[in-house]
Amino acid sequence: MKIRFSSAALLLFFAVTLAFFSVSAPRFATASTVENLMSGYAFVAILAMGQAWPILVRGIDLSIGAIVGLVGMIVFDLSLIFSVPGYVILPLALLAGALAGALNGVLIVYLHLQPFIATLATLAAYRGLTYSISGRQLVPGLTTTPIRDPWITGIETYFDLGGSIGLSRLINMPWFPLSFFIMLAVFALLQVLLLATRFGRDTCATGGNAEAARLAGIRVGAVTIAAYAISGICAAIAALIMVARFTTATEALGSGAELTAIAAAVIGGVSLAGGVGSMFGPAIGAFLLGAILIGLTLQGVPQFVQQIITGVILLAAVGYDRLLVLRRQRKLETAATGAGR
Amino acid sequence: MNVAGMLRRDGIAQHLAPNALAIALAIIVVVFAVSEPAFLTSGNLIGIVRQVAIIGIMATCMTFVIMTGGVDLSVGPVLALSGLASYFALQAGMPLPVVILAGLAVGALVGLVNGLIVAFLQLPPIIVTLAMLSIVRGTALIVGGPEQHLIRNEPAYSFIGTGTLMGLPFSIYIFAAVALLMILVQRRTPLGLLVAAIGDNERAAYLSGHRIRLTKTLVYVICGAGAALAGIIQSSQVHTALATYGPFGTELDVIAAVVLGGTSIMGGNGSVARTLLGVFFLGVVNNGMNILNVPIDIQLIAKGAIIVVALALAARRA
Repeated sequence: MKIRFSSAALLLFFAVTLAFFSVSAPRFATASTVENLMSGYAFVAILAMGQAWPILVRGIDLSIGAIVGLVGMIVFDLSLIFSVPGYVILPLALLAGALAGALNGVLIVYLHLQPFIATLATLAAYRGLTYSISGRQLVPGLTTTPIRDPWITGIETYFDLGGSIGLSRLINMPWFPLSFFIMLAVFALLQVLLLATRFGRDTCATGGNAEAARLAGIRVGAVTIAAYAISGICAAIAALIMVARFTTATEALGSGAELTAIAAAVIGGVSLAGGVGSMFGPAIGAFLLGAILIGLTLQGVPQFVQQIITGVILLAAVGYDRLLVLRRQRKLETAATGAGR
Repeated sequence: MNVAGMLRRDGIAQHLAPNALAIALAIIVVVFAVSEPAFLTSGNLIGIVRQVAIIGIMATCMTFVIMTGGVDLSVGPVLALSGLASYFALQAGMPLPVVILAGLAVGALVGLVNGLIVAFLQLPPIIVTLAMLSIVRGTALIVGGPEQHLIRNEPAYSFIGTGTLMGLPFSIYIFAAVALLMILVQRRTPLGLLVAAIGDNERAAYLSGHRIRLTKTLVYVICGAGAALAGIIQSSQVHTALATYGPFGTELDVIAAVVLGGTSIMGGNGSVARTLLGVFFLGVVNNGMNILNVPIDIQLIAKGAIIVVALALAARRA
């Protein structure tokens, strides 16, 4: 198990970014910015941590945006058409996400499809499925009906932590969204899974060298399917957060989310070469991306320019990843020649 | 089972495997023709070719990229940006050749940047072109804004997408010319050989003294130029240039056509001619499902299922 030394570098870069915008952007260093960052990017962080697992086993999951849409529509249907209570919907939504993710893994393991192609195909299929089960089309009257189930809308709750411990009298404290705490819980769970369990070690071994892992007795196929299932579950959690926020679901919910998630994971140091990464990196990567976009907005930079800057950041991150790989290779080579002499 | 039987079965399977897509295409044509007579009318068949021309040009031009083990996700926004470039060149009163060159140059330039980064910095093509997708879309939105730019009173430019020549839409001729050119490049030029060599074994090709990096850069330039040409045709066809043309999903259709044609996404095997087969297969499936009034959601699911089945069969063969 390797943890990137770049975690510290990433955190430092995050701090520098925050400092930069605090100085240069008006109203950046305020409670409302922190609140926007937490509520607007917690689900991105969850998607990025999920995306890290397929990348860890040397794959990629392009279908998470479509899974978000599919799970969102399932929640919509169950709640508004079938009037299923929220406490039943929540586990069903997670199950749906897990199944959709596991199917990706099955296609990759048993049909020997390239992850890129398999998840491309399911991207189309899941989005199509979302349209075909859309309660908006099936029951026209529902398009304007909000979801009122407290178990679902309750996800969009804010806690005045600063007020409850009396800090708000001293400084203006942000209210903490529940989605931020969900993100922390997902982070804790996945980090333990990755670092402290056999499954986590098997995942890294599979991504590092699948053939060697197989010869070492690791059930590579099962590990791969589980990695994609985790990605699907994370997409389902993100879908719940989004549905709670909008109190509805649309057929297009989550489209394009895979790009942001992959970007955050790569920025967070999850190596596309497989086997190397953490949960900390993708989460920070997501909030770093968020801080930059919010900062630029406050500076008055138009949204289109932000799109360009997101692309440039992604290029820089993957370039940095490449640099680290090269450096590691060079170190190995010098070690080898040194031993030869 | 006796040996002779096994041999015979293998013989037939081996014979059929390379032509599986052509056979499948023939079967669905028959199915659609029987279930809906309107399918086989010349008007509809010409319509299919006209519909697939845009995706087809992009797919034939992306085949080399995928053969070298790469991929280009940025073709959608390139399509939009080149349409805008042509529009602004038209507005500036430039002559038609300059207008077309302006559009093509935009695509070639984006392709050049993609190619240089992939070939010389050796960054993964998926991420590089993903980043470029974002960058080019942002650029298109800055340049063109969110509003539609109508292309009016430009008969010469509009002819590209809407004109007819000897009873056939002009865009079909462009598609045919591009396809023919790319097939010739693959079969008759050193570039075609080099692309195959890189896909087969990049290290070996490098050690044989070939200019790997130059070749890899060039295939992305071709891909970008192809997407730009598609953008020119599209903007001419609908008399509009818009920054959001080529929406997310366009690149997936293009890649699907290429891999359906049997080009491995890992690089190596591939052929422009078979990409055309993939293009027509998807085009016929789309058209047939439209004629049969299959709803869009089922069409999406079917498209995903077709890609999975076709590639699973291909993987089994290998």
